[in-house]
Amino acid sequence: MLPWLAWNWFTYIKEKADMESSVQRTVWQIQRDVIHAMLVREMKTRFGKWRLGYVWVLLEPSLHMMVLVTIFSLVRENFYPGIPTALFMLSGIAPFLCFSHCFGKGLTAIEPNRGLFNYRQLRPFDAVLTRTLLEFAIYLVALTCLLGLLAWFGVSTRFNNFLLLVVVNLLFFCFCLGLSLALCVVGQRFPEAAKMSPIIVRSLYFLSGVFFSLEQIPEEYHPYLVWNPLLHVIELTREGLFVQYQGAFGNLNYLIFISVSFLAFGLLTYRANWRDLVRSQ
Amino acid sequence: MIKLENLTKSYRTPNGRKVLFRNVNSTFPEGKNIGILGRNGAGKSTLLRIMGGIDYPDSGRVVTDRRISWPMGLSGGFQGSLTGRDNVAFVCGIHGIWGGEQRKVMDRVQDFAEIGDYFDAPVKSYSSGMRSRLAFGLSIAVDFDTYLVDEVMSVGDAHFKRKCEEIIAEKRKTSTFIIVAHAMPLLRKNCDVGIYLDAGQLTVFDTVDDAIEKYQGEQPRPKPKAGNANKALKV
Repeated sequence: MLPWLAWNWFTYIKEKADMESSVQRTVWQIQRDVIHAMLVREMKTRFGKWRLGYVWVLLEPSLHMMVLVTIFSLVRENFYPGIPTALFMLSGIAPFLCFSHCFGKGLTAIEPNRGLFNYRQLRPFDAVLTRTLLEFAIYLVALTCLLGLLAWFGVSTRFNNFLLLVVVNLLFFCFCLGLSLALCVVGQRFPEAAKMSPIIVRSLYFLSGVFFSLEQIPEEYHPYLVWNPLLHVIELTREGLFVQYQGAFGNLNYLIFISVSFLAFGLLTYRANWRDLVRSQ
Repeated sequence: MIKLENLTKSYRTPNGRKVLFRNVNSTFPEGKNIGILGRNGAGKSTLLRIMGGIDYPDSGRVVTDRRISWPMGLSGGFQGSLTGRDNVAFVCGIHGIWGGEQRKVMDRVQDFAEIGDYFDAPVKSYSSGMRSRLAFGLSIAVDFDTYLVDEVMSVGDAHFKRKCEEIIAEKRKTSTFIIVAHAMPLLRKNCDVGIYLDAGQLTVFDTVDDAIEKYQGEQPRPKPKAGNANKALKV
């Protein structure tokens, strides 16, 4: 599977090289320059417009977290034994927001960026990759900052397993990238899909363990819920973050399988359609 | 060398497909500046976009060993909410120009565009003339073997047009131009070879004047008045 993916990437890059007959830069340099310039540009458009731009990175997850904490503190005094409710909710909402942003941005990756495809070295793939990278960076920064902030206020618990976090986040990134690539094709082919996206994301919000752990759910619903890869991302993130978290149901192997196949599926879908995405019809 | 091989391109319209080019085979003369003529909708801009590698034909391909610029047109390429400076920095970036060199290019573009403080204002606040100044200034800032120019010179004032021509004259020493325009004097001045697009076919003329003649031959002529007959025929 992995060599195949590498091959897929290689042919993609090769195609770029054929298009770009520049002699000075290698294909990898072109790819790097494009991603770099795109990142700078995305940051400027995202954060430059209003002062709240940078603050929003922290504000959005913390607002969600506060609402959830308020609700679930009323439900039960100590929501999850050993873990402060704020931390429990934060570790659920942060990955979920990242996913939901990738989902929305992926669907609308083509049309708003039409002007960019005026440059031959810049194709929809780069737009999707940049957005996913940026969303992911924002998520990691926000999570780290908020965990630090909460610890500063005395809301902390013992840290568990850094390596597991690294693995889970790498897989999560592959998952998001594959999904965004597939969605950019869907969004271009069926613009109506954008209307469906809030419904899908909203329902996943309730099914992905943002505000519960699978062990708090009656056993008979488990067979349906465990299909959801996001649930595993969140369960495993919590397991990596907190010593006290049981995490009996987060399955790393399943997440590996899903992430790699989503990435493969996304790359395939993109490859089958990439000319049609930019071609004038 | 730029060579078109079996190029076919069509568009979907409510009344079926409209074919722009059908199996076009053509080799563009080496080292010549080319003017492309054709009526509105004949496919001039599409041809430029296909040569620039940003649009794809239904079948066939463009073979070239030259570095071809993006089509310098009026539309697209700029992000409205970003400033002119940011847009220039971005285009430099994707062409691998960073750091000190980027600043130099930026100064050159600012110098050429003469848009003053607007360089640091969002592009969406620009007039079409300012936009085309920036577009043209930007494209000549990056080095290419062949520049594709799509009508960008027609909107500016006289001063801007003169500057464009100066730049083109200078660039012609090392690069060639492929120009789409409806302004005949501009084509006569800047092009050696003419290409006429009509009815899905592409004809290469040895001089741009021949192509202009062909193009104008297709136009309905005003009926010459008795006294002005000679004058009218010269249009």
